[in-house]
Amino acid sequence: MTETAIGIAHVTKVYPTPFRRRVTVALHDLNLEIAPGEVYGLLGPNGSGKSTTLKIILGLISPTRGSVTIFGRDNSVVAARREIGFLPENAYFHKFLTGAETLRFHAKLSGLRGGETTARVKELLATVGLTGARDARLSTYSKGMLQRIGLAQALIHNPKLLVLDEPTAGVDPAGSRDIQDLIASLKNRGTTVLLSSHLLTQVQEVCDRIGILHRGRLLREGRLESLLGIENQTELVLENASPDLLDGLERQIASASARLIARRKPQTSLEQLFLKVTESIEE
Amino acid sequence: MISSLRRVRAIASTTLIELARLRVFYVLVLFALVLIVSSTFLARISFQQELQVTKDISLGAINFFLSLLAIVATAQLLPRDIEDRVVYSVLAKPVPRFEYILGKFLGVVSLLALSLAAMSVLCLVVLHLREQSALHDVHQQVAQFAPDQLSSTLRAIHVAGVNRDLIGALVLVLAKSIILAAATLCISAFATSNIFTITAMAMVYLIGHLESIAREYWLQEHAAGWFARTFLAVVAFIFPDLQAFNISDEVIGGVPIPARLIVELLGLAVFYVVSYLLLAIAIFYQREL
Repeated sequence: MTETAIGIAHVTKVYPTPFRRRVTVALHDLNLEIAPGEVYGLLGPNGSGKSTTLKIILGLISPTRGSVTIFGRDNSVVAARREIGFLPENAYFHKFLTGAETLRFHAKLSGLRGGETTARVKELLATVGLTGARDARLSTYSKGMLQRIGLAQALIHNPKLLVLDEPTAGVDPAGSRDIQDLIASLKNRGTTVLLSSHLLTQVQEVCDRIGILHRGRLLREGRLESLLGIENQTELVLENASPDLLDGLERQIASASARLIARRKPQTSLEQLFLKVTESIEE
Repeated sequence: MISSLRRVRAIASTTLIELARLRVFYVLVLFALVLIVSSTFLARISFQQELQVTKDISLGAINFFLSLLAIVATAQLLPRDIEDRVVYSVLAKPVPRFEYILGKFLGVVSLLALSLAAMSVLCLVVLHLREQSALHDVHQQVAQFAPDQLSSTLRAIHVAGVNRDLIGALVLVLAKSIILAAATLCISAFATSNIFTITAMAMVYLIGHLESIAREYWLQEHAAGWFARTFLAVVAFIFPDLQAFNISDEVIGGVPIPARLIVELLGLAVFYVVSYLLLAIAIFYQREL
């Protein structure tokens, strides 16, 4: 049997409401398996149970029923967290520490020592583009910089599993693109990534599989191609096609009793346009 | 084991930096230092009285400010970390919750020890200088003293100056503040705001200082029944007798303090600190973050 990176079996989380008979069911019989090396996106509106799911995976709260495993180990065992890096939503760290001190603190908590810590701190500050701000206190960091230092602390011990709660919240499009690129490079290195996000375009770009949570229930789950693909339609994107060629194609389609639904020029996304414009000015 | 100690040390040192950068810390320590220094300018009748008043004010100031610091500094540690979500990124690492609580506690203890050291050094230097000045004055007026009067005056100055019992009193002040810090951590492990913690600790402080009076009243002046005895025993078990750690009156009055008493009180402090910490850890393990 293949070992899963995250295994969630029949997890239910119930919050009692003080002084009332009513209870709030934050998660209802959630079952989920994420394979090693996979990038999984957890989608859902506010209050759908995304953060509760992440907190249960990390052992910050206990499920009312069900169990969670991390690479085959019960998640309540502290050793299971050696494999996890976590970036909380709107990450706040000790504001009185500098960027480098923050990473050293988290390196010590992760069991890194001396020279290994120094090298890793230097490498990660460069990776997230904060080498120039390494000795500035976090109280002077912008929201985007805080998010990047948060990402660096999550990666400090080179975890096999990265859990990101709204990783691009408050980050500008360029920073957001950097984070997406980083996730893609981590995936290439075999790191498993679980992320929750509201930004559907980003999730679509980086995730292999997604799950849609709503009111504590997993409504849809699967590979992006299978969820988004329309079985009986095919899309062709041509470059330098002459009007004659296109007319010929249309005629052939009509004669083969197929139907042409749309003929239009593909459009770039707003994000791509923004990045192109701002990058050209910077150059 | 070694990696566990490293993690605890990392949390403790970060906590110490966090607390040392709080303005309240500087205000409290500065205020205590001003009190200690200003006590030397008060008018006195005799050398002995001069030293006693300096000692009285200094010990009182150190005792009060260290207790206040223990409660105020500890009360905000856990709620702030939870509110700022710092606790998430820390506990998502391979850090058991007991290491987190222990690290926070040791950070506060380091702060209290450093504050006590700063205030004690100033107190001892002031007392030493006053003692030397008094001895100098006595030696200059040696002709006015009868031989036995001279030796008794010198002895009185030594007793009122810096001595071993004063150090013992300072150690007990530290022990008392550490008990208060452990109790505060225990309450803040389940409290949702530091206002609640500080209010609850004000009650603990009050009960801790009054329980010995209540015990004396009920057990010695009245023949208390089993109910009163059980109630007092329960109170004494839950709340530490903080007044027992206050030996300033004896030290100022020159009453010798047996070393055994200090050892017994330190043992009692260890019992309360360990009990409160175990309780804090047990509560924090159950807490949903």
